Amino acid sequence: MAVGTPMGAEGAAGDPVAAEGAPPILIEGLTKRLRRGVLAVDGLDMVVHRGQIVGLAGPNGAGKSVTMKVLLGLVRPSAGRVELFGEPARAGAAALARVGALVDGPGFVPHLSGLANLRLAARLPGARVDEQGIERAVALAGLGDALERPFRTYSHGMRYRLALAQALLGDPDLLLLDEPTTGLDPAHTLEIRRTVEHARERGATVLFSSHQLGEIERICTHAVVMRAGRLLAAGSVAELRGAHDSLEAAYLELVGAPGASREDPVGAR
Amino acid sequence: MIAAELAMQWRRPRTLATLAALCCFSFALTLALALSGGDRLQRVGDIPLLIVPERSGGSIPVIALASTMKFFLPLAVAIFAGESIAGEAASGHLRYVLARPLSRERYLLAKLVVALLLSLIAVLLVPLAALAAGAAAFGWHPLTAIDGSASTALHTAVLGFSPGATLARMGVGTAYVAGGMLSIFSFAFLLSTLTAYPFAAVAGGVGLTLVSRVLNSDYLPGVAVLNRWMPNNDVDLWEHFFQRPAQTAGMSHFLLLQLIYAGICLTAAWWWFTRRDVLT
Repeated sequence: MAVGTPMGAEGAAGDPVAAEGAPPILIEGLTKRLRRGVLAVDGLDMVVHRGQIVGLAGPNGAGKSVTMKVLLGLVRPSAGRVELFGEPARAGAAALARVGALVDGPGFVPHLSGLANLRLAARLPGARVDEQGIERAVALAGLGDALERPFRTYSHGMRYRLALAQALLGDPDLLLLDEPTTGLDPAHTLEIRRTVEHARERGATVLFSSHQLGEIERICTHAVVMRAGRLLAAGSVAELRGAHDSLEAAYLELVGAPGASREDPVGAR
Repeated sequence: MIAAELAMQWRRPRTLATLAALCCFSFALTLALALSGGDRLQRVGDIPLLIVPERSGGSIPVIALASTMKFFLPLAVAIFAGESIAGEAASGHLRYVLARPLSRERYLLAKLVVALLLSLIAVLLVPLAALAAGAAAFGWHPLTAIDGSASTALHTAVLGFSPGATLARMGVGTAYVAGGMLSIFSFAFLLSTLTAYPFAAVAGGVGLTLVSRVLNSDYLPGVAVLNRWMPNNDVDLWEHFFQRPAQTAGMSHFLLLQLIYAGICLTAAWWWFTRRDVLT
């Protein structure tokens, strides 16, 4: 297990999969200070090895989304070292071709159809997607005839299904899913769970943030708990659960009861 | 990248609506002039130049370009430039594009080229639509103009321009107006990289046009010192092509001014966009 420890010596030695090349995610001392001085991430250390499904938990303002955006090269770190597959995570990094993402909700061109949006994504630089890959994404989205309709007419659930299909275009080696089940009904949530499990079966690595601790417990092999930009705990789900009945109980003990005084940065998620 | 971007922008309803509105303006102008008889002298822009529409369809593009260059065309250009990046940020599409192995410089360049192309199409569309409508309504004859600045109480300076000369003067005039939109375009494009609200970027571009019009010594003599540095004030100098001899004074300064505005704004846009955090 290497989640939450810088460089993860244990993981490299104990996990035969981890020994294959650089880890998909390496974060050392990541600090991100946003405008107006808000400290979104504060000295975060984390290593995620190949094949791990890591749940990222924490209250609003914990720094989960900002961490994912740093990994995607959308946000520049104020300090620290962040790598994807051994390459510095920055805008335009070649390693981003191996990453699929759903961050901060779906983002598509409103006037284009779902299918046109998928085709547009498949033509972006670094997208290793052929026609079969698009067809697989279309099947995964499961939107039927609605795929021909403009994206702006889609319901919340349809938008998330399309976003998940886009994230999986080209079977990425690393999947970053930021609260992918937000506002979805149980059937859609189940689909997303199956999708993550399928990604795991083919050897992909997944970083999955959620407020649903039950989801993390069911889906993930490991979990990381953040608060106010800092790492509170990390390890396998079983290790984090410890003697508690559930991961949620362990989380509440770690993070504290709602309303307790904390220094969560305002505006950073 | 540029082809994909152009295909995407071309299908955007706002693009089609903007271009259609400019076409409709030229058609409506022709219709209004035809319905009013077309035999009245029409003043072109701010200079004492009068033309009679019914004498030649070639007069319609002159009137149409003069009527749109100070507000409608800057508005269209501000829409294309202001929407380009901010529109993507507003829909959330920007973060998914920039999360690919694509350099921000390359993406910005594609956006810039496509927005410039659409703006150029907008500027060209007005005289072209007017030319087609004018020729259909009034035929294609030599253009007759009255130069008020060369006329006296005893002499009316009547000028004639062959269809070829009219087309050549309109062509150069349209190119001048297109160049004159560069400052508004660049400013709106810069704002587009700064905000996730496309309306704000478009409004900024239009706002610069309005400031330029207000801070004009024609209306406020006290601000004459600013006159030569306002981005939109001298966009009407091309009208002097329809005097004889054609006047070109001030045009090179105005075009240089456009390049200065564009250089500053586009450099700032590049600097900011390649460094900004994409949080939306």
